[in-house]
Amino acid sequence: MSRVTPPTPHEHTLEYRGVSFSYPGADTPALTSISFAVHAGERLGILGPNGGGKSTLLKLTLGLLDLQAGEVRVCGRSPREARREGLVGYVPQKVDAELAFPLSVRQVVVMPLVVNLAPWKRVPSETRRRADEALSMVGAAELADRPIGALSGGQLQRVMIARAIAPRPKLLLLDEPTVGIDVAGQRRFAELLQSLRERLGVTIVVVSHDIRTIAAGCDRVACLARTLHFHDAPSGLSPQVLGEVFRHDIAEVFGDVHVDAHAAATCHVDAGDHAHHHCCDHHGAPPSAGVTLNVSAKPASAAASVNKESPRENA
Amino acid sequence: MKTLEYLGDPIMRGLFLPGIVTGVAIAIVCACLAVLVVLKRMSFIGQGVSHAAFGGMGVAAVLGLTGASLTAAQAMGQFSIILSFCLAAAMIVAWMSERRGTSADTAIGIVLVASMTLGAILMHAAFKRQGSQGPGWESVLFGAILSVGWSDAIVAAIVSLAILVVLWWERRKLIFWAFDETSAPAFGAPPRSPRIVLMVLLCLSIVTAMKLAGVVLATAVLVLPGATALAMSRKLSHVIAISVGAALVSLVIGLVASMELDWPPGACIVGAMTLLYALARLAGLAREGGLAGARAEA
Repeated sequence: MSRVTPPTPHEHTLEYRGVSFSYPGADTPALTSISFAVHAGERLGILGPNGGGKSTLLKLTLGLLDLQAGEVRVCGRSPREARREGLVGYVPQKVDAELAFPLSVRQVVVMPLVVNLAPWKRVPSETRRRADEALSMVGAAELADRPIGALSGGQLQRVMIARAIAPRPKLLLLDEPTVGIDVAGQRRFAELLQSLRERLGVTIVVVSHDIRTIAAGCDRVACLARTLHFHDAPSGLSPQVLGEVFRHDIAEVFGDVHVDAHAAATCHVDAGDHAHHHCCDHHGAPPSAGVTLNVSAKPASAAASVNKESPRENA
Repeated sequence: MKTLEYLGDPIMRGLFLPGIVTGVAIAIVCACLAVLVVLKRMSFIGQGVSHAAFGGMGVAAVLGLTGASLTAAQAMGQFSIILSFCLAAAMIVAWMSERRGTSADTAIGIVLVASMTLGAILMHAAFKRQGSQGPGWESVLFGAILSVGWSDAIVAAIVSLAILVVLWWERRKLIFWAFDETSAPAFGAPPRSPRIVLMVLLCLSIVTAMKLAGVVLATAVLVLPGATALAMSRKLSHVIAISVGAALVSLVIGLVASMELDWPPGACIVGAMTLLYALARLAGLAREGGLAGARAEA
């Protein structure tokens, strides 16, 4: 994909300022007053329940939805400009592609590079080389000539990542990237993200409802649940219950973990290196007074003992 | 052979040539579109649109725009009326299924029946008025490729060429969209226009294909060559070439069979396409069986 102007260096690759969004006819907003920033080269994990607004956030970042309130900047540009300039790569939650399509893996990876190429122009050899390079980065070089429909789930995921990084984006968005992948696969996925960041310097945002994915592959974690859905269990899904759910998931990654959830405006997830992270989450409470998780964890290798932080009130 | 006799006779050749030109134009363009129609599972919407054309044919019949002796302007007028019905049907289906919570297949079924009903009433009135001069139900339903005139042939050739040019111009966007409709917009592909482009091309090709195979069999021309090719290859360029080849071979077999046996040409051509598809599937099954056997031996 040809870029109109080279991106200028920005401290924040992705920035949300007071973004709210409601779908037409919906009773509750999909996102309310979302503000955060992701630094260049950072790996941010956005954790939240299914239906919690993660996909809406991705669509807004990609410029596929019109902003209603607030501002989103990607490398200092509007999301649409950034998308047009190939600054954003995207790996979908599940591959909805028509895998019966008679295309080779290389042809699929080349697609984003040529979709807006003038019809009368031939695909340059440089473009094919970039596609091969992207496949090589995700360890799928040997698949280049295979039919896309002949791949396993794991191979397909790597090819989708190669397709996303082929235009050399500054920001890579991954939507539920480890759904259906076993623990070993998740570990390999985390290593792949690390490798991509080192080789491309790309900023990575992973959204998932699976805390293992987030914890294993990200530097920073934000929790997003702009509207927890109480339709099935109106009084049952308390922050404490949610905390218990997360406790089991975190325990699998970090070993001995203690999790608590409290009503608070901000959330801190101290994972491994005890980094301090902002979290926007409000489990059932009004958005401005969101309930968030306080999670502290240490690596399993260090016989993790995770502390429960004291309840804090929303500021 | 009757076929050689007909083609050797200058008068008969002059009568059949417009139909053959029309058939070749339709076969090439429909074969290219068929690959996308099959891969995007759009054959049922094609069926709905082709049957919606029946309503347009009814309006054209009432206006006297039927038969083989139309002038170029009349042929274009007839084409425009039928095309309008097809486009309207496609838009109504999209509107009903997207905004009213009606599933696409229900919407197609409703539009299909409504337009068929309108066409049946209008055509009945037109044929009654025209008496023996009318084209008759059989040619409307199953096509009458060998009775088309040069006006129809020219319209078919121009429309087919236009479809091929648009397909070539939009090929990269169409292929990306057809392969991965959900994700393509995230990579800069337009989110809606490829579907609109494909639907318009589908309507144009259906209206043109009705000369070949009639309302009932037009969809077959937009499905069978693509399905045959996809059963034989997993490389896009090969698939398109095989699809065009299968359509042209079916056209020749169908026309020869029609002349020799005095059967309806549209049915013969679609029958030949079906036969080729069956052979391609059988060959595919045999190949898979052979590969499985070789693996077992290894």
